[in-house]
Amino acid sequence: MVENRPFLSFVTHVTLIVGVGFLCFPVWMALVASSHGPEALSHSPIPLWFGDQMWQNYSDLLFGGMPQVGGVPVGRMMLNSLWMALGITIGKISVSILAAFAIVYFRFPFRMMFFWMIFVTLMLPVEVRILPTFDVVAKLGMLNTRQGLIIPLMASATATFLFRQFFMTIPDELVEAARIDGAGPLRFFWDILLPLSRTNIAALFIILFIFGWNQYLWPLLITADESQYTVVMGIQRMVNSGEQLPVWHYIMGTAILAMIPPILVVVAMQKLFVKGLVESEK
Amino acid sequence: MAEVEIKLLNKVYSGNTRAVTDVNAHIRDGEFIVLVGPSGCGKSTILRMIAGLESISTGELFIDGRKVNGVEPGKRDIAMVFQNYALYPHMSVRRNMEYGLKNEGLPRDQIATRIAEAARTLQLEDYLDRKPRNLSGGQRQRVAMGRAIVRDPKVFLFDEPLSNLDAKLRTQLRSELKALHRRLAATFVYVTHDQVEAMSLADRIIIMNAGRVEQIGTPLDVYERPATRFVADFIGNPSMNLMTGIVAEDRARVVLTSGPTIALSTEVEAAPGTSVDLGIRPEHLRVSDTGGADLTLSVHMVEHLGADTIVHGHIGQDAGALSLRVDGVQDFREHTQVPLAIAPGHLHLFDTQTGQRLNCA
Repeated sequence: MVENRPFLSFVTHVTLIVGVGFLCFPVWMALVASSHGPEALSHSPIPLWFGDQMWQNYSDLLFGGMPQVGGVPVGRMMLNSLWMALGITIGKISVSILAAFAIVYFRFPFRMMFFWMIFVTLMLPVEVRILPTFDVVAKLGMLNTRQGLIIPLMASATATFLFRQFFMTIPDELVEAARIDGAGPLRFFWDILLPLSRTNIAALFIILFIFGWNQYLWPLLITADESQYTVVMGIQRMVNSGEQLPVWHYIMGTAILAMIPPILVVVAMQKLFVKGLVESEK
Repeated sequence: MAEVEIKLLNKVYSGNTRAVTDVNAHIRDGEFIVLVGPSGCGKSTILRMIAGLESISTGELFIDGRKVNGVEPGKRDIAMVFQNYALYPHMSVRRNMEYGLKNEGLPRDQIATRIAEAARTLQLEDYLDRKPRNLSGGQRQRVAMGRAIVRDPKVFLFDEPLSNLDAKLRTQLRSELKALHRRLAATFVYVTHDQVEAMSLADRIIIMNAGRVEQIGTPLDVYERPATRFVADFIGNPSMNLMTGIVAEDRARVVLTSGPTIALSTEVEAAPGTSVDLGIRPEHLRVSDTGGADLTLSVHMVEHLGADTIVHGHIGQDAGALSLRVDGVQDFREHTQVPLAIAPGHLHLFDTQTGQRLNCA
């Protein structure tokens, strides 16, 4: 229902503006805080406008070692996070698209049982299985390694289920046409299924990248070596720095830096993402 | 260019549903064969078994003398055109047509020549770089045909390729298909539920019902000498008038259950008292002007189609349904009685129990 009443549109606009302000204010505060020196933030009033330390703070963060987190620059931590997020994203997508391919297009014994087994793991989040997983990773000698960060988080029932649902909407005739055209299963996957899944892959990429980037509990458990710290862990370490005062200007700067890669991914893939959500024509 | 030999073909799905029962057919080299029948009669299943998309339960299938029962579709040297085109949506027209050839490993220059040739034949030259979604239905079906032609297969298979198109386009593509068949001189196997398509395209028609073959013959054969009551009823529009009756003592007449007695021109090969279905096509009835009527039609509805007029009604007062087709525009009034005469030599008799044709004149 669309109504054209000036008063109503005034109210809705005010509501929206308040909402936007509410959402953006903390980000603004973080940005402002990251441009001041350490003293400015420890007594009120807290500044609401930029200071003159921005360049200095960010170059300290990215390249200088942070004593609060064992002398590792935030740049290094961001690289670790990037590796982990990309590893989880790409790994999850490749494993689940292949699993869905097998479940939808091949007839093998216990096919539906396997599907339901995968489906049931949807109900088991990482936190529930974290101790046994830790045990397995430790026994495999993958503590403090990138593989250890990535592999246990790679299997995904959600993505498998999503690809399965998508594959089931692809008309059977397309598979049959490919068979008549002499394409074997792998060629069909590579030449036809994969290009058709492009928008779904993009949508999943965004969701999974952010999921991977924001991982906290798992990296906290298995990394003891500072050189493997991720940026989300880094923020936490800086806040709980023991007897020293928290270095708020650095913490806020790190938070801002940690926001940038997910934003870049969303912006870069937004077009495909939206297309994946609205496109129905096959 | 090849023969297709179908021997005692059977298809049984899990749960014991029989889709195809004991089908035998010999499709000659270069022949245009149309499989026709109501939906669910097994015609598509046979086509898909020839293609290799459906496994064969029992029986044998030969393409060009080679038994292909367990051969992959891609290795049977066939091409197929689907009802909803089944074009790869993310590939351009050119890449759609190339795909099968690339998989065969044909050299690049040969692929290019074949595609140029097919595009010329089908008037697709201007569309080669478009995506299927930017084409109309008729163009898409042409691309699907092009994809089949470039393969240069031994047998072309068509699964209701014109069903998704509007009537005018269907007629146009029908004649294009016929011309294509003449030019390629290849074996075509074509499935449709549309008898007009079957009659106009086929060299021979295979009529199917409930998984069995009812009759194999040329279009005129099945029209003029239907082998079973099902064929008589299925082919022809409006369909044949079928009236139940009993063979009289002298075996030269049939007493209809609705009353009248119809004289046959020769004796029927059935015992007196056999219950039969007497068939006569609507165009083989005419209005009797001499007074001596074989049947009386009480008119219920008149259809003026321009070229001819179709009159629907009942025998006598309210017995069996009957229709009559006369040339041009003629005036019939509803709720009147019209005396009809039967054109001699155009009666069909079928055994009511078996549905098989009984020989007579």
